Amino acid sequence: MEKAKKENKNEKVGPDGLTKKERRALKLSARPPQDNRSATEPTQNSLEKTQVNKLGNTITEIQNTIAAISMDSSKSLSEKEQRRLEWAKKLEEQNKEKGVDKNVSKAELKAKRREMQEAQRQLKTEHSKPVTKTPSTEKKDVEKKLETIQKHDTKKVDMKKEETKISPKKDIKKIIQPHKVQLVQHLYNEEILKLEANAVIVHQDIHPAFIKLGVQYGNKVVLGSNARCLALLAALKSLINDLKSHPKQEFCRYLETVLQVSANYLYTCRPFAVSMTNALRYFKLQLTQIDTNLKDSEKKAKLQDIIDTYIDDDINKAGDAISMKVREKISNGDVILTYGCSSLIRKILLEAHNDGKKFQVIVVDGRPLLEGKELLRRLVVAGIKCTYVLINALSYVMNSVTKVVLGAHALLTNGYVMSRIGTAQVALVAREYNKPVLVCCETYKFSERVQTDSFVYNELGNPDALSVTHINIPTALKKWKDVAKLTPLSLLYDVTPPDLVTAVVTEIAILPCTSVPVVLRINASDTT
Amino acid sequence: MTTSANIQEYFCKIIKQDEDVSVGVAAIRSLMEVIKFSNSETVQELEANLKEAIEAMKNTNYTVAAINSACELFIRFITLAALDTRDFEKCKKIMLARGHLFIKKLEEARGKIVRLAANFIEDGCKILTHSRSRVVLQTLRKACKQNKKFEVFVTISAPDNSGKRMVKDLETEGIPCTLILDSAIGYIMEQVNFIMVGAEGVVESGGIVNKVGSYTMAVCAKEVKKPFYVLTESFKFSRLFPLGQQDLPEEYKYTSDIRRKCDLSKIHPLVDYTPPSYITLLFTDLGILTPSAVSDELIKLYL
Repeated sequence: MEKAKKENKNEKVGPDGLTKKERRALKLSARPPQDNRSATEPTQNSLEKTQVNKLGNTITEIQNTIAAISMDSSKSLSEKEQRRLEWAKKLEEQNKEKGVDKNVSKAELKAKRREMQEAQRQLKTEHSKPVTKTPSTEKKDVEKKLETIQKHDTKKVDMKKEETKISPKKDIKKIIQPHKVQLVQHLYNEEILKLEANAVIVHQDIHPAFIKLGVQYGNKVVLGSNARCLALLAALKSLINDLKSHPKQEFCRYLETVLQVSANYLYTCRPFAVSMTNALRYFKLQLTQIDTNLKDSEKKAKLQDIIDTYIDDDINKAGDAISMKVREKISNGDVILTYGCSSLIRKILLEAHNDGKKFQVIVVDGRPLLEGKELLRRLVVAGIKCTYVLINALSYVMNSVTKVVLGAHALLTNGYVMSRIGTAQVALVAREYNKPVLVCCETYKFSERVQTDSFVYNELGNPDALSVTHINIPTALKKWKDVAKLTPLSLLYDVTPPDLVTAVVTEIAILPCTSVPVVLRINASDTT
Repeated sequence: MTTSANIQEYFCKIIKQDEDVSVGVAAIRSLMEVIKFSNSETVQELEANLKEAIEAMKNTNYTVAAINSACELFIRFITLAALDTRDFEKCKKIMLARGHLFIKKLEEARGKIVRLAANFIEDGCKILTHSRSRVVLQTLRKACKQNKKFEVFVTISAPDNSGKRMVKDLETEGIPCTLILDSAIGYIMEQVNFIMVGAEGVVESGGIVNKVGSYTMAVCAKEVKKPFYVLTESFKFSRLFPLGQQDLPEEYKYTSDIRRKCDLSKIHPLVDYTPPSYITLLFTDLGILTPSAVSDELIKLYL
């Protein structure tokens, strides 16, 4: 903390030294004049010098010859020539000085600028995260920086006005934070939010079920679109059950406000899944339609009933319907490839197996979450013949596959499928091998959002997970925080374009991806 | 009239009598006949009768795709809709009235398609078509009546050589046409302007089920970048989603006779499935659709 303060003091001076003019002046004054011809002399200058020397030589030769012919005339000529020679030498020297100055300053400027930026960056990070310690290398850098700044302190005063005008521009232009990928800068707030969440964890308005849920979301204990939605609805139910009626407010309105606070808290733990957003929206809509004349206890019962029917109809029954539809498409002798662990896919495969279908499953998995292991375990227990590969072996196994069945996080209006990162790759390889790709998705996961790339909206996973192996042994990457230029990027989702997906299996029907808007329209007209 | 043999007979008679009646329309007419003459007393009984009749028609030697989708639509719109009246006789009358309306609509459908598609035929263009499709034939006739000069290539379309009949029909209209081998599709492709085919069924994905060889033609057209147009009535839309050729139901691929008698693995199929990515446009009585719009229309119809 002390150090940070110190640096802060110096920082005001720090960026001051950045103007070109000043630096050049400083350098000139600092450098002894003889230094010009030092080893750093550029080749161009030496070339010029030799040329001039050659010229001088030839001139003296001429001089001698002329002198031999006539002394008088030669003297005047030689004087002239000598003068010219002297002038040329002077010119050359000047040039050299300039050139050296320029060349040295360019390289040095860059280095200096970089140092400055680094120092600024450190200051910033130290301000935002007082807990993290600066590594020793960075410390050195800062110290060096401080020294240079102190050296040039005296000359800065007169130029201060100019600099203060310039420096903010530079800040805007070149904020490159360490360990952050420029393209997804907008996704990084998660960490800060996490800190905040920990700080205000004791919030009196939040039901303990929600606090627990928030922690579970944050630590990724509850994982998967369906599981997260079900957990949310369960927490919601206990909230309704425990909520005491407000003396002044109507029960539903009060519940609404409480729910809003809880939802905000949950959001700080982890951004909502589309399934959760949709479920919450549905619940809030139902909340507004409840008869206000009922007793509070009746309202409670009714609301819980609404949640139960939602879980039953939109999640469980939808899953059953999808399972039935996919089962029809699975024939004996099929080799089915799936990626990661979707609760729906697990259900489908197990039910198809219980139905007596003879098929084989290839579970493809991807680091760092390795969710596929869980799926593999359950399938093997059920007695299905399985193969387990990591995603880098995908093209090797794809040849023997007959169908690819994938889960989804959400289906977007433009037909894109949002799912666990790696799904797009699986779909791409499947298309390349001309294998049908079935995406299984309940309609409650359909979203009105439109997205064509994975960067606009996504979530960031824990970058530390990339630097350890699956059994938590750190790899060579473990010290990535020490290397400023190394930025691990761990995204959680990607989007798959509709032309890579043969069909989407929903509880309504097997549809092409392009029919998502129609389904959304129908669902919207149903609920209102 | 309620026995399945009678229905089959009636159904086949309609098709034989009138060349221009498609299998789907014939199936619906037969179902109307079932409603008219059935001596059932309840709606449920009638429905059972209808289902029996549908099964009977599926067992004739016509391709099932059109029968299936047309009957499904019929059952949906005529019988399900009539359940709100209590008197059975009244109900029956309503059903028949609706049925007539339905058939009338179906008969108008082809005219609409012809009007839409004929505009796409221009003077001097060359058209490739596969097998014999009534709606394609009528479209070409219409274009000819509009005094357009164009040339048609028709595949011979094995195994039933229906292309020969198509050529004969076109020649009587005075349309210049050439009969080509099925294997010459690739050769002829670069000369033609576009492809126009009919369809036995349109599936949920927006792809079509049609006489075997259509898929070959579509793949070829895509490679040579020629538009592939499909002319089809909307009653042929069915809620099926084949993932590939193997995934097509067997009743679509083989007639009932073959299914009963032969080893299917050694018999060539009668139809194949053309995925939506190979189809440029579908001309239907609902308008000119892209393949992805088929699913939208189906959702509208059935949900």
